[in-house]
Amino acid sequence: MIFNKSSFSLLLGAVSLSAGLNAFAVEEGDIAPDFTLPSIVAGQPAISMSELKGKTVYVDFWASWCAPCLKSLPLYNAMYEKYQDQGLEVVAINVDNPVEDGLDFLIDTPLDFLIPSDPDGETAELFQVIGMPTSYLISPDGTVELVHMGFRNGDMEIIEAAIEKTLAGN
Amino acid sequence: MARYLKPLLLLLVLTNMVACTQVQPWQRGILAKEEMAWKADPLESALNDHIFFSKEASSGGSSAAGGGCGCN
Repeated sequence: MIFNKSSFSLLLGAVSLSAGLNAFAVEEGDIAPDFTLPSIVAGQPAISMSELKGKTVYVDFWASWCAPCLKSLPLYNAMYEKYQDQGLEVVAINVDNPVEDGLDFLIDTPLDFLIPSDPDGETAELFQVIGMPTSYLISPDGTVELVHMGFRNGDMEIIEAAIEKTLAGN
Repeated sequence: MARYLKPLLLLLVLTNMVACTQVQPWQRGILAKEEMAWKADPLESALNDHIFFSKEASSGGSSAAGGGCGCN
């Protein structure tokens, strides 16, 4: 008999370890991971989470092939205009590969907030993004206050309510 | 213990060699293309699904996950 009890449990442990290595998605209450990414616009400075510490940051993952993402971005722009004076920063990470696909969308839809580019999905992996789009509301001390996946009508109200709550806690 | 080590190691290596991998949500750019859809016409496939459901009293299983954005 190859399997006695201890070798079986050892194997079980090894298998579950190899299967579950990337099962740690960023959730509400977690400390948001730090990242530094180049801006999608050539010549613009790199965008780093550590530089935004002390601000309420809304991090969103989007791609040009994701229909609900494209619906949400102009609305996020309006949200940014509304709350930027109160210290809100919006960071919309583009995961398009090739990057040009994302840029094509931005030509038709100019956005005022920060747009880093992550074509290799490194930061998306860091957050273990659960779907597209997924956004994270991060409080000034770095805690994730809200994880929001997908985008449907009426979602802006949920997001803005969470932002107002976080800004009030400043 | 030593004689269990070899088969154990072999099994461990084999489990790690499984070729299947999960396409992550942010990697679905190519899968999201129109030509990657199982059915070209969403309206037609919705109608077909409805007829199938009426006749068979069951639905689903007619398409594969991964083409969309993984958000709905």
